[in-house]
Amino acid sequence: MEIDWIFSLQYKEDRVEKWKIEGKEFDSRLMIGSALYPSPEIMEKSIINSGSQIVTLALRRQSATNLKDGNQFWDIIKNLNVTVLPNTAGCHTAKEAITTALMAREIFEVDWVKLEVIGNQYNLQPDPFALIEATKILIDEGFRVLPYMTDDLVLAQRLADLGCTTLMPWGSPIGTGRGLMNPYNLRTIREQFPNLNLIVDAGIGKPSDAIEAMELGFDGVLLNSAVALAQEPILMAEAFKHAIYAGRLSFEAGAMQTRDMASPSTPTVGTPFWHQFS
Amino acid sequence: MRISINAEIKEFDKEFLTIQELLEIINYGEGIAIALNETFILKTKYQETTIKDGDRLDILSPVQGG
Repeated sequence: MEIDWIFSLQYKEDRVEKWKIEGKEFDSRLMIGSALYPSPEIMEKSIINSGSQIVTLALRRQSATNLKDGNQFWDIIKNLNVTVLPNTAGCHTAKEAITTALMAREIFEVDWVKLEVIGNQYNLQPDPFALIEATKILIDEGFRVLPYMTDDLVLAQRLADLGCTTLMPWGSPIGTGRGLMNPYNLRTIREQFPNLNLIVDAGIGKPSDAIEAMELGFDGVLLNSAVALAQEPILMAEAFKHAIYAGRLSFEAGAMQTRDMASPSTPTVGTPFWHQFS
Repeated sequence: MRISINAEIKEFDKEFLTIQELLEIINYGEGIAIALNETFILKTKYQETTIKDGDRLDILSPVQGG
């Protein structure tokens, strides 16, 4: 019995492999955003508690006065010793997104970018056409492009054809917390692109949403609002850390098949109080 | 000359300035990237890139993002 337990622990440990994405290795499959937290201190503690090693951030104009006083936010992120993933949030054209990506590469000295080109202001839906245009140019410029996209199979194919090795379809619109709107589409993309890194980006509201994404076989989850807008962000960050880990283990373990007819889990042989006479 | 820096109009008593000279005047620090008239300018080009009247400068720095 004891040997079985030791074997079980060893087996579990062997299953926890590092996640390889865009030439880098990470222990955590959670990418976390740095926006919307109640305070910089809560942001810092939430990121630490999440176990995430990849933090997304953005570029914006700031007044000269602010910059003379230093950039407190950037100082906190640098001290966390995480890998930063700059985004092109707020860009509405391929040109804006390309310029922002080039500027981000110079500041952060990383060659990857979360490419975001918004096509609709109501649901912040990515513009697939501008996404393709910007991706092509940025890959030519030497970028590793991680496109934030809708869950469209043909768009996924076009982006993969351009050379993307990571795709980030939405679960639902940014900041809605509605979870996975269309698991069928996500599952289809997973099945059609078994060798790409797939990340559900946006729309995650609860740890159970993240588990669902991981159980679909997605390689990671990118989220922000679900932690930052929780009642207790630091606690929720930890909840997501465990959820994503559990979801990955569940996917690797392989869930049982569902069935309609009940089947007793307790052995029926030797059931008490059953007699041939009764 | 009058130029726009991050959408604010600023006046300088010179006809031309390089980006490097401008940054020294307005005392911008590290961790920035610049676009001149919506075109990204490499840091290594600051000393040779000239700003003139009517130009629009975007000076960006890291902020929170998702």
